[in-house]
Amino acid sequence: MGLIRAVFDAAFRQGGTRLKPVGPRWPLLLFHVDTGGCGGCGMELEALGAGAYDVQGAGFGFVQSPRAADVLLITGSLTRTMAPVLEAAWQAMPTPKGVICVGNCAIDGGFFPENYTTMGGLDRKVRIDLRIPGCPPTPLQVLEGLCSLFGKRPEGETSADHGAGSSTSS
Amino acid sequence: MDAEAHIRAGAETETPWRYRLDELAWRDLVDGLKQSHLPFVGVWCDGVDVHALFLPHGVQPLAATLALEDGRYPALSPARAVSSLYERMIFDLYGAEAMWATDVRPLVDHEVWSNTTPLAASPGPAGGHKGMIAFQPSDAWAAETVGVMTGIGPATGARETPLHTALVLDGETITRAETLSGYAHRGLTQRWKNSRVDDACRLSGRVVAGCSAAHQVAFCQAVEAACGETIGHEVAQLRVVLLELERCLQHLYTLGGLAREAGALLVSSRCMWFREQILTETAPVIGSRLLMDHCVPGGVNLRAATEIGTLCTRIAELGEEIYPTLVELWQGYAGLAGRMAGVGVVNSAVLEQVGLDGPVARAGGGDCDCRRDLRMYDGLWRFTAGRHDGSVEDRAAVLLDEIGESLRMLTELGPRLGLTAGGRIDLTYPDGEGVGMAEGPWGTILYWVRLQNGRVDQVFMRDPSASALLAYEAALPGQAVADIGLIRASLGVNAAALDG
Ligand code: SF4
Repeated sequence: MGLIRAVFDAAFRQGGTRLKPVGPRWPLLLFHVDTGGCGGCGMELEALGAGAYDVQGAGFGFVQSPRAADVLLITGSLTRTMAPVLEAAWQAMPTPKGVICVGNCAIDGGFFPENYTTMGGLDRKVRIDLRIPGCPPTPLQVLEGLCSLFGKRPEGETSADHGAGSSTSS
Repeated sequence: MDAEAHIRAGAETETPWRYRLDELAWRDLVDGLKQSHLPFVGVWCDGVDVHALFLPHGVQPLAATLALEDGRYPALSPARAVSSLYERMIFDLYGAEAMWATDVRPLVDHEVWSNTTPLAASPGPAGGHKGMIAFQPSDAWAAETVGVMTGIGPATGARETPLHTALVLDGETITRAETLSGYAHRGLTQRWKNSRVDDACRLSGRVVAGCSAAHQVAFCQAVEAACGETIGHEVAQLRVVLLELERCLQHLYTLGGLAREAGALLVSSRCMWFREQILTETAPVIGSRLLMDHCVPGGVNLRAATEIGTLCTRIAELGEEIYPTLVELWQGYAGLAGRMAGVGVVNSAVLEQVGLDGPVARAGGGDCDCRRDLRMYDGLWRFTAGRHDGSVEDRAAVLLDEIGESLRMLTELGPRLGLTAGGRIDLTYPDGEGVGMAEGPWGTILYWVRLQNGRVDQVFMRDPSASALLAYEAALPGQAVADIGLIRASLGVNAAALDG
């Protein structure tokens, strides 16, 4: 754990500067790692990426290699078994780079706080650029969260006027 | 004596369907199981005893208990292959050793935990391993392997749960495959222990997303059985609505993933779009998208229970509008069926060997569905036979058929439900144990729950994912490495459920 903290802190960008120019020609590329939750946050990310929500249009894309990624997008409580995998993914990413935690598990452990096998969430372990709470957050909440990185809202409806979007499940 | 008689010959316990055996009788049971088809559910440990659960007749449980002797017990894996996963889990958690087990590799403890044998009376020291864990091949693998070794996972960038699949390749063809799991192990057994009943229920909804309703229905029924309570017919039907909705949503999700893997992006987005259409209707009425926490011990917890009848009717209309065109698109889309034909066959011999049920088994000619025996499905469920050659194509076809069947049940439920209020009866929790089950999207989910002092003392959970993992390992040799995503998604292999 100490190792992880050192690695994350050393590489972190300071003071909220933009990761890189963003816009249609510069989509922000996300590498998703499930570090050990129930998979619900991953399912909502899949729903987000599968076309019903315009995540590409909003300037985001999912990539299959950390080497191509701008941002590490983490779901699930961090298990001790996944920690080195996450760290390797982080190290493989080019700089500048950032961390987004989607779901309560990834933020503070949620239903799976620290025990013999999990380290809980990443809060207070690494600097998190964006937290999107929920168990799980809806695709729209995730999209709104992502767009807030650029200081804008997604086009079209927002979760406030979207019945499904305003609910969390617990 | 047959296996069932061996169990019933044991000493009675406080639970009418659980018998205590001595070690010789347990060994006889293992021998008897080799000759019998007695359906096996699983085996678990509580630190003092091991318990093995069977379902001899439909939903009627029958369990055998054996006291650990010097921390050991005779393994069931020589008679039931899937038991090996449970035995490995028991060893990792309690340090209890299964004698004559078919596989003694660790399952979830890879020496990185802060305690080894964390649930034993005196847990062991922290594991000494640093860095990424390594795949440890089975004896068979080590003996036979020639070819190029490679692997996939646990972090592929795809939205799947973390699992490592180690492969040996000959060109593009897989010649051997084994998995390394434990990445998603969150310690559910420990978290359930001594928890409040409502908290335990919420945890059961987070075993594996996409099957949350089924997990929570099974958990709640186990608790209700332990309390000697049966919930009313109307509330049971509301639970059926949750279960069948979940099946529709999860099958559409799986089909969307399969179509994407097969390169049919239009079909994929159509599946996911249909799913979103249903969710737009259901989420405001039920209260969440992934159907978590709506089934609670003693009843249901829905945002607007009185609107469920209308919701079912609305879903039925949506189904009528969209489902037939989706089926047509799926069947007629050039190259889609062909891409999946003959891929990843899981035939009846493999199914029998690994004890897998659910749609995967139904697509391989198996006739198993616990809805047949569950009272809440009286007059609703019916047997339908579909494709049965066991390939990815057949499994996809069965999933598509099952969406149709679930939509039909929801259509029938709509008018019956009317303005049902739902609600929840207050349970008092006496000491005792109970079993509950539900047919989840991937097969039977079963909970055994023991209550003590008004709290949950221990939980054992059976999910099809253990058998699905063995089927996955068995199905891969001979397949093209490019098909691995299709095969995994079509079998319902899920690390979150498996690792616990
Ligand atoms: S935050 Fe909730 S939905 Fe997301 S992975 Fe954790 S338990 Fe599952």
